[in-house]
Amino acid sequence: MERNQMHKHIFLMRQSFFDQGLLDDQFIQLEELQDDANPNFVEEVVTLYYRDSSRTILNIEQSLEKNPLDFNKLDNYMHQFKGSSTSIGAKKVKAECTQFREYCRAGNGEGCMRTFQQLKKEYAILKKKLETYFQQTRQAGPSETACRPRMN
Amino acid sequence: MEYLHSDIADHTQQREKLQHFHVLAVDDSLIERKLLERLLRESSCKVTCVDSGDKALEYLGLLDSQEIDRSTASSFCPQSSTQEGLKTVNLIMTDYSMPGMSGYDLLKRVKGSSRKDIPVVVMSSENVPSRISMCMEEGAEEFLLKPVQLSDLKKQLQPHLLKLPVHPKIDMTTSNDNGNGSMIIDITMNNNQNVVVSKRKTMTPEPLERRPQMKGLAVI
Repeated sequence: MERNQMHKHIFLMRQSFFDQGLLDDQFIQLEELQDDANPNFVEEVVTLYYRDSSRTILNIEQSLEKNPLDFNKLDNYMHQFKGSSTSIGAKKVKAECTQFREYCRAGNGEGCMRTFQQLKKEYAILKKKLETYFQQTRQAGPSETACRPRMN
Repeated sequence: MEYLHSDIADHTQQREKLQHFHVLAVDDSLIERKLLERLLRESSCKVTCVDSGDKALEYLGLLDSQEIDRSTASSFCPQSSTQEGLKTVNLIMTDYSMPGMSGYDLLKRVKGSSRKDIPVVVMSSENVPSRISMCMEEGAEEFLLKPVQLSDLKKQLQPHLLKLPVHPKIDMTTSNDNGNGSMIIDITMNNNQNVVVSKRKTMTPEPLERRPQMKGLAVI
C-alpha cells in the first residue's frame, strides 16, 4: 500500500536525522508537545526558528565584514543563535555555534569565519531536510499506528 | 464508582488549581517564549509572555511611574487600596541573559519591591555556578538550565499547588513530615545532565482533613 510505504519512508527519514546527528533529543521534546490541540507545533517552532534566526545570521555576516572584528558582539549574537538552535534540537548547528564562540573567545577571526561558513551550510541542509520532512508528513496524513519511535 | 481513587482526585484538583495559576514568562527570544508558553499551557497554567524585563516590571505595576501614581492616589484617598489594578501573578519565569535588563536585574527589582512575594525562577542556557549562586542569594526560587523540559516544570510547579487555596468542596490528602517550616536546598540533575540548585520552604501542614483509610473496599 502506497500510504504505508510513505509512512515508512518518513519514519526512516526522521530516524536518519538522529542517526546523522542533525537532531537531538530536544526535537523529540518538541514532538511530545504536539497533540490534537497543537497539531503543527513542531513545524511552527521550526518555521519560527528559521525566520527569526535569519536576522541573526545577517547580523553576524555583517559583523564579520568589519575591521577590526568585535568579538564581544559576535559572541553575543552567537549566544542568541545557539540558544534558539538548541531549543529546536539542531545538534550539528549547535556544535558549530559552540566552536564559533570558542574562536571568539580566542580572538581568532579566521576560525570564526571558517566556522561560520560551515554553520551556514549545516543550517541550510537542516532547513531543506526538515521542509521535505514536514511536507511529506502532511501529504501522508495521519499514520495508522499511534507509536512514536523514541531515540535513546 | 462511589469512592474516587485518591490519585485521580488529587490530579483533577491539581489541574483545576493550576488553571488559576498565572505565570509571567520573560524572555527576549521569540522561540523560547513560544516553547515556554506551550510547556506552561501543557501544565494547565495561565501564561503571559513579555519580551523584556521592563515590560515585566510594567506588567507587575512596578515601573517607577506606576508606583508614583499609586502612592499619589493613596495619599488623596487613603481608603483606596494600593493593590487595586495589580494583576495577579503567581510565578515569574525569566531568562537570565537579556539585552538591557537581565533576568538577575529583574529578580533584584522584584525582590526589592512590594511584589517580592512572587517567586522568581531564573533560566539560563549556560551552567555557570557563580551565576546560579548569585541568583539564589538574591532570592530566586530556582535556577533552571535550558532547554527547560516538561518534567522540570512539573517538578517546579508541584510545591506551589500546596500554597493555593483549597477548593472548599474537595478534601485533599497530603503528607508532610516536617512540623516546622525549614529551608531545603535541593541539588539535583535534570535531564540535560546539568546540576540544578533549588531551595524551597517546607510547608507547615495546613489544617486539612485526611481521607479516611477504607480498607477492603474496591477502588476503581
